[in-house]
Amino acid sequence: MLPMRPELLKGHLDALLLAVLEPGPQHGYAVIEALRTSSDGALDLPTGTVYPALHRMERAGLIASDWQTVNGRRRRTYHLTPSGHAALTEQRAVWDQFSTAVTAILGRRAWPATV
Amino acid sequence: MAGHRLTEEASTLADARIDAYLGELAHLLRGPRRRRAQILAELRDGLDHAIADRATHGRAEKEAVESAINQFGTPQAVADAFGDELATAYARHTIAWYIATGPLIGVWWLLLLQPHPWRTGLLALLAAIPVLPLIAIAIAAAAGTFATTGRLIRWLPEASPHRALTAAMAIATLTLIGDVTVIGLYLSSTAVRPLAILAISASLIRIAGSLVTLHHATLMRHRIRPPTPEPADTRWHDARR
Repeated sequence: MLPMRPELLKGHLDALLLAVLEPGPQHGYAVIEALRTSSDGALDLPTGTVYPALHRMERAGLIASDWQTVNGRRRRTYHLTPSGHAALTEQRAVWDQFSTAVTAILGRRAWPATV
Repeated sequence: MAGHRLTEEASTLADARIDAYLGELAHLLRGPRRRRAQILAELRDGLDHAIADRATHGRAEKEAVESAINQFGTPQAVADAFGDELATAYARHTIAWYIATGPLIGVWWLLLLQPHPWRTGLLALLAAIPVLPLIAIAIAAAAGTFATTGRLIRWLPEASPHRALTAAMAIATLTLIGDVTVIGLYLSSTAVRPLAILAISASLIRIAGSLVTLHHATLMRHRIRPPTPEPADTRWHDARR
């Protein structure tokens, strides 16, 4: 599968990150890997896209982070806040509506020309 | 690095390479010190994981390190990617500093300009503050910027980092003018009292802080991308409409 350009995800990245964090806390690199593996490599997003997006979502109160020390190194893990859970539910509904509408148009094949 | 199959010697080489990479990045990041340190610590952990993944999949040590660093991007690219977040963090941090120092310094000036505030009414007390319009504008700018760069961005349009920095610079300028004005007014009207030394010293420190803020914010504003209008469907608050 071809990797998608990050700009194609504009407007959906927050929802994707919320969905990845829904099962439980993850650190930044695990989030990048989860996006890549769950999409069969299509969502191979650069570090410079994912980490700043996580920071912005934390500023917005959608996720929160904790610092732990693992093997002498500091590790930051992110988890959803109640607002994040609510936003994810809402974004799923928005996406369902959006994808149904787009599929209805893009998925339509041209009718054979009639004489 | 723990949790993967690098030998001790390779681990030392990998650490040295990562240190060099993060050292270069540290020189390029601009913003609050604590935030920069957090970004570097987080990327270090991410790189350790990326190298461990590659080593687990059979890559040679050196190749694993270089591949992981390539995945993260050049130090300049990573610094640019964090530019917006750091600029916003800097603006919020600076504005919080002004909010904290405002009442602390203001109370000394109020006691100097109105020595018996409890004997006068609130209006007389407010009228004794010579830079009241500047304070009002600064408070409005601070509140607006805090609201549109914090948790309320889920409902309000988010201020761009460019705009947040502009607001921080405006507040620094207003504070600078206010501090210079009150010092000038006080020194021209009355003899210096012991209490005035405290107030003047505090204002002088804040003037220096404002000049530093203006310098840093101007540099950061030149580094970040100019704001671009976004389509209406790319924001949480728009999705709710």
